[in-house]
This record gives sequence, structure tokens and C-alpha cells, in this order.
Amino acid sequence: MFKSHKKHVMKNSENVIEVENVSMDFYRRDEKVDNLKEFFVRLIKGKLEKKKERILENISFELKKGESIGLIGHNGAGKSTLLKIISDILQPTEGSVRTHGVIAPLLNLGAGFDYEASGKENVYLNGAILGYSKRELERKYQEIVEFSELQDYMNVPLKNYSSGMVARLGFAIAIDVEPQILLVDEILSVGDENFRRKCAAKIDELRKKGVSFVIVSHNMDQIRNLCQKALWIENSHVMGYGEVNDICKQYEAYCASIVDKDKNG
Amino acid sequence: MSDFEKNGQVTEGATELASDEMTPKEKKEEKKAQEKRESREEFKEWLFFQKKELVKNFNIVKQLVIKSVKVQYRNSVIGIFWTILNPLLNMLVMYLVFSNMFGRGGGTWVDGNTYTLYLLCGNIVFGMMRTATYQALPSLVYNRGLLTKNKMSYNVFPLANTLSAMVNFAFSFIALLGVMLVVWIQGNAVFSWNILLALVVLPALFLFCYGLSLVLSALYTFFRDIMHFYNVFLTLWMYLTPIFYSVTMFEGKQGFLNKFMYIVVKCNPMTHFVDYFRNVVYRCSAHAGAIENIVAQGGIAPPEFIEAATLPGFGTVAMLYSIGIISTLIGAIVFMCTKRKFIYNI
Repeated sequence: MFKSHKKHVMKNSENVIEVENVSMDFYRRDEKVDNLKEFFVRLIKGKLEKKKERILENISFELKKGESIGLIGHNGAGKSTLLKIISDILQPTEGSVRTHGVIAPLLNLGAGFDYEASGKENVYLNGAILGYSKRELERKYQEIVEFSELQDYMNVPLKNYSSGMVARLGFAIAIDVEPQILLVDEILSVGDENFRRKCAAKIDELRKKGVSFVIVSHNMDQIRNLCQKALWIENSHVMGYGEVNDICKQYEAYCASIVDKDKNG
Repeated sequence: MSDFEKNGQVTEGATELASDEMTPKEKKEEKKAQEKRESREEFKEWLFFQKKELVKNFNIVKQLVIKSVKVQYRNSVIGIFWTILNPLLNMLVMYLVFSNMFGRGGGTWVDGNTYTLYLLCGNIVFGMMRTATYQALPSLVYNRGLLTKNKMSYNVFPLANTLSAMVNFAFSFIALLGVMLVVWIQGNAVFSWNILLALVVLPALFLFCYGLSLVLSALYTFFRDIMHFYNVFLTLWMYLTPIFYSVTMFEGKQGFLNKFMYIVVKCNPMTHFVDYFRNVVYRCSAHAGAIENIVAQGGIAPPEFIEAATLPGFGTVAMLYSIGIISTLIGAIVFMCTKRKFIYNI
């Protein structure tokens, strides 16, 4: 009866993520009816049936504690959707996801910021959303400010920040959660060279602590460096899953073949 | 989590050991007890989880309210004072229009002398409802950045908007006290402890607004037309609420329209909130004061004065609370039924 919150009973106790036969349907964007006129017109014409589109088809993988997995594939393949399913923002149409431990989703930095509010207010709001208590927040506020190097700008409304500053603040907040699983969506290239190095150092530190990563990136070197495993998704299907070097090689070969095809017409 | 799993394993082991020397009946009982223990543990865990979620959501709502109150008037010169000045200016406009242009219907001569208070009370109570719902309406869509990137409860946004409207309402109340002071100096109002009774129905008003906010914000994710529609509806609703007139205007008059209006206005929940608020804040005590004066001069107080001086009873409060609770229940049901689809529409 009270099991609804339990997503944590793993099949294998060493695993932190178990994704089993996950499929996901979306309704097509152009078919979206969001006003009443459209709704009634379609209702009368009998055209309200929804066009489903399968975004993910039968995806399975598992991740052990301390391991990292890279998700690769072309844009729109469904990688970000998979991250959202893992972090429980979206519910899969079929299949199940089990996770163990605190998940910190680093999806699109700064997306949740209110640009009218100051940096400080945004830190507090985002901290609350990530589940900090008030006391924790006050302690961590200093750390976040120091890491983001924005000491002089915390009382300035975010709309006056540069995009790099926003990304830095977002990264500093998200990385400070002390998660067991970190979901990273193409954000490891924020800020200037200096800050990027700092991020890399922080990620190394977390890896040493045994944090597991799920990384979406188009940078194969980064994936090879950080991950032991890779999952290659193409057109919502799994094209390859296994050791990182093999999969990356396959993917690169596939990309090269597409480029060749384009060249030859 | 891991502690719990360990505990579970330990108890399992213990039963296995003991089961060798037990009769089948004892075994059955032991199994039952085991199940009971497990379900109790599960319940405890569930409770702990719910508590954690509750604390988390409380923190989020608090930060949202602080942020919205701070941001609202950030770039204005007099800042937060707008929340006080706004209802005052509104009252002034209404006073200029309705006290001279149309004359007023209903009410006693005491109501005539305290007409500014009459307007202001109606205005701030209705304004609270309007601000809460109108801001909550697009709240899910405006915060799509947060909702699509984080695992969080959807209802924190309507809740935060309703609460920040309550905060604004508290500031408006200061304006009301200021005007009341002026009217008191003129000798037409009386300060009394009755004013504290206004606090009694604030939770009911909050529940009413919250329920409405839930329904509206849920519908808005599906149909963006709701915003334009609701905007017009709010204007209509304002005119159907006795803010600048009195319900007694329609009483005892002939004609279908009068009767129809009377029923519509009486069925409007805001009428009762506004009337209650007005009565406890100044109207009853002002009339009681007038009666005292009349009696002191040897006159007999007219019955409508005695009626106006009677404080709203338990029945009224119960009715207001039922309105609030029904609204929240409907809101919660609509919200629960639709929330799985929000993420695809915002």
C-alpha cells in the first residue's frame, strides 16, 4: 500500500541505476491542440485522435556504483528524454526504472532561473527545489558563491548577468548537491577556460568519491575519458551498448559513413 | 534505506531459526506477525518519505513567496508601498465615481458615512482573490523551466501564488487601518476587537482561492484561451460582488431582473466573504456605536440598525469554511486527474 515511493529496490544490490525495457511515447508537436477553438474544430471533424510517436524503444541498461555511462547518438535520438525518465521527471510508457540514491539532474543549466530575481534569491530557490533544508542552504550558500566566483553579483538581477555567468551559477548550485548519481546533459563546456578546468577538477573529485555519472555528450574524447560504458541510441533504438571504446568506435564509423553518403549524393 | 534493508534481513533470519521447533499454527501466527511488522516498517518509511517531501515543498513555497514579493516591486521607486497605495488609489477612484455619479443603493446612513471603508473592504478582499487566481493561472506554464528540469510537485506554484496574494492582502490591510483611522477621527467609525474576527475566515478565503488556482492553472496547461476568458469573467465577477453597492439594493424590489440579480449575487461566494469581512472589521461596531448614540438621545434604534450591528454567527463561518473546503477539494481532484499530462503541454 505504501510502496508507491519505493523505486529503490534493486535487482542487483551493486547497481545504482537499472533501466529495463523502457519505451516512451510522445504526441507529435504539430498535432498539439492548446486552444479551445482548435479543440472543438477537431472534435467536430472527428480528428482528435492523437498521433503517437515513439521516442524511445525498449531501452535497457544498468549502472554499478562508481561507474559512468555515456549516452551518444545524433540530435533528437532521445538521449535527453532518457535522462528525464531516469530522474523521474517523465514517466515511461512501458518498462521500469529503478534508482538508488540521490539523483542530481544537471539538465540545461539555468533553465529554472527567474531572470527578474537576484542571484541570491535564485540560489535559495534552486537549493530548495533540490531539497536542501534551510540550515544546509545557509551553509552551502557561501560554497556556491565561491565556486561560481560571482561574489560581487549576488544581489544583481539575473537578467543583467552574461550567459556565462548564469551557466556558472547553475553549475555551482547543481554540483553542490552531493549526489550518488549525476545526470549531465551537454553542459560540461560552460564558462571560460579557467572555469572549465575547475569543473573538470570537481567532477574528478566526485568520481573519486564514487558518484556515478550518466553523461550526454557529442564529444567522444570526453565520453572516453569519463565513462566505462556507453549506450548508443539512434532513431529511438539502441544501436550499441557496452564497453566505451568499442561503442565510440562504432559510432564514429557510423557518422563517417553518413558523411560519405552525403558527399556521394 | 540501507538500515531498513538490513533490519529486514535480520528479522527474516530470526524467523527461519525459530521455525524449526514450531507447530504449523505457530508458524502461521509468526508469519502474520512478520507481515504486520513489515507493513509497519513500510508505513514508517512511507511516513518519513512524506514528511521529507512536505518539508521540501514547504521550503520551495517559502522561497517562491519571498521571491515573488521581492520581485514584484523591485524596479519601482516606492517599492513595497505600492501594495498599500494600490488599494487606496482604487478606493479613491471608486469613491469619486460611485458616491457622486450613481448614488448608492441600500444601506443605512451609517453606511453612507463610512462609504470609503465599505469600498475598501470589498476591494481588498476581492482583490486578494483576483491577484491569487490571476497570477496562479499561468504559473505552471511560466515555470516550465523548473518543472521540466527538476523532479518537483506541481502544486507548489498555485500554492505560492495564493500565499503571496495573502501577503499583499496583509499590506493592504494596513491601508484599510489608515483609512479607518481617518473615518474614526471624523467620528463615524469605532475601533473594536471584532476586527480580529477577520482572521478567523482568512484560512477559508485562502482555501477558496487555492482551489480555484489549482483548477485554473491545470486548465491553462491544456487551453491557453482560459486566460482571456478568465480576464473577462473576473470583470463580470467583480460587478456581481457587492463591492460598491449593497445586496439590500435588490431586496423587496419588484421585477424579474431585480430578483434574478439578487439570486445571482447571493449565490456568489465572494459576496459572503466580502460581507463577513466588512461586518467584523467596521460595520457592526459602527452600527452598535450609532445605536448607543440614538438610545442615549432617548430615541429607538431602527431594526435595520440592530440587524447590521449583529456580528456574523457560527453559521456564517461554517458556510465560508465549507465553500473553501469544497473549492479546494474540487481543485485537488481536477489537479490530480490531469497532472500526469502537464509535462507534455507546458
